[in-house]
Amino acid sequence: MVHLDHVTCILGGTQALNDVSLHVDRGEFVFLTGPSGAGKTTLLRVLYGDLKPKGGSAVVAGVDLMRLRSSGLPELRRKVAVVFQDFKVLPERTVFENISIALEVRGVPSASIDRRVRAVIRALDLEERSYALCRELSGGEQQRVAIARSMVVNPELILADEPTGNLDADLSRHLIDLFKQFNTYGTTIIMATHNREVLSWAPEARQVHLVRGQISLPTAEILSGAECVAARRGA
Amino acid sequence: MSTGKLMARGVADMRRFPLPQLCTLVTVCMVALLAGTGLLILHNVQQEVLKTQAQARFQVYWSASSNMTDVETQWADLKRVPGVAEVSTFTPRAAMAELVRGLANAIPAAPAPAENATAANATADNATIADGTTVPAPSPNDLSWLEGENFLPPTALVSFDIPPGEAPEPWMGRMYARLHNLPGVEKVTYNAAQLSLATGWIALIQQAAWPALIFFALVVALVVGNTLKLMMLARRDEMEILSLVGAKPWFIRAPLFANGVVQGFVGSVLSLVCLKFLQTWLRSLLDVPPLFLKVEFLPAWQSFSLVFATTCVAGLAAFIAARK
Repeated sequence: MVHLDHVTCILGGTQALNDVSLHVDRGEFVFLTGPSGAGKTTLLRVLYGDLKPKGGSAVVAGVDLMRLRSSGLPELRRKVAVVFQDFKVLPERTVFENISIALEVRGVPSASIDRRVRAVIRALDLEERSYALCRELSGGEQQRVAIARSMVVNPELILADEPTGNLDADLSRHLIDLFKQFNTYGTTIIMATHNREVLSWAPEARQVHLVRGQISLPTAEILSGAECVAARRGA
Repeated sequence: MSTGKLMARGVADMRRFPLPQLCTLVTVCMVALLAGTGLLILHNVQQEVLKTQAQARFQVYWSASSNMTDVETQWADLKRVPGVAEVSTFTPRAAMAELVRGLANAIPAAPAPAENATAANATADNATIADGTTVPAPSPNDLSWLEGENFLPPTALVSFDIPPGEAPEPWMGRMYARLHNLPGVEKVTYNAAQLSLATGWIALIQQAAWPALIFFALVVALVVGNTLKLMMLARRDEMEILSLVGAKPWFIRAPLFANGVVQGFVGSVLSLVCLKFLQTWLRSLLDVPPLFLKVEFLPAWQSFSLVFATTCVAGLAAFIAARK
């Protein structure tokens, strides 16, 4: 699903990513950890095509990022959904509209949109707020809307950048359970976090540690998820 | 989603950002009004010059002994010449009446004779002619004695609109020859210097018109364009989110383009309404003695051009802003 080899990325004159190699298989759950400024967000931005790597090779969901043009960006983003710490929902639109927009851009027929959105809203326990404006929702509800928007399109890969950063422990736990649930359906998830508690709620997930733009654990750099699990079992 | 639906959504979404939309609309309207006012001034100056000075006027004098029936036939023919704007004719009698009226207005009215004026004084004002007869001196206001001695010829003042594309001086030369060759015509005069001056003014106005039009177009383009770009800042998050969920560029731009087009169209139509009020007010202000300036509204093609140009610029600016 993700194949990064010796990727470097320069951001604002500094080397934000330095010789990063990372391979993530389909259906894996990966935590990107590390202190603030380690390069977690930069790595995620590279993965969803917001930043172009300076060097190395990068392929995400079959899309070669080194050759990606702006015209090819929608194709990548239809395979890769992103959830942010600050939710990035449209405050002046309803919950239903915020979720359905992801399907509308794909040209899904409106009858199908209605059915799929209602299903996701039900799964995320947002039924009562379906037609509320997002600015009227709590932080936890807004984050659930953002997650619903990313999940309704059934993406191959979900990238989450500190999705629990603005939420309390209970809500954070609930959201991690949601991600785990979707992961069991086969969706690959890469989540950046520096919260150790969050890591403990998904012990089966692989952890990739970033420090100063480099992956610090050699196992994560070299081994794919399956190899990593096998290595753990062997240990 | 079809382009039509996207456009409709763009228009419907305008209500989500009422304040930026309103500010943009006011700006578009005011800039278009400014441009429209400039066009209005140019148009009216040109119209005024055309109306008052740019006509070729020929004063045609027939011989005083001409047969009036023949002359009147020629006058009727003259009115049918292509390009004739106006024909004012004067029979000798009418010309005399005009002259008498003109002189009467030119000479100050005599004071009423005082009751105690002496007969000597009155005699002193009388004239004595060769046979010794004394005739009373005519009052300066009484010019009726001229009517019996009418020496004035039949005349006609013929005004022409110079045909478009014709150089004034050669055209006037040809028309002069044509009028001069009419049977019984003794003399023809025309306003060559005035027409030359008017032609100069019109040429100057036309030369100034293009830079002015370009200037107004640039002002509209820059101000409307930048205002719409600023308005798009209010929708930046929406554009970012649409991009994140995989929207193609047209999906993002079409609603914004529609928004810009509506802003440009409504703003420019509102500016025309304001311009109409301005024109009505200016007309009431200037159409009084001694100015008698009838301020006209923009011709239809200029009004249409203003709306069209503003709408295009606004749509284009919104489209470009969305791209960036």
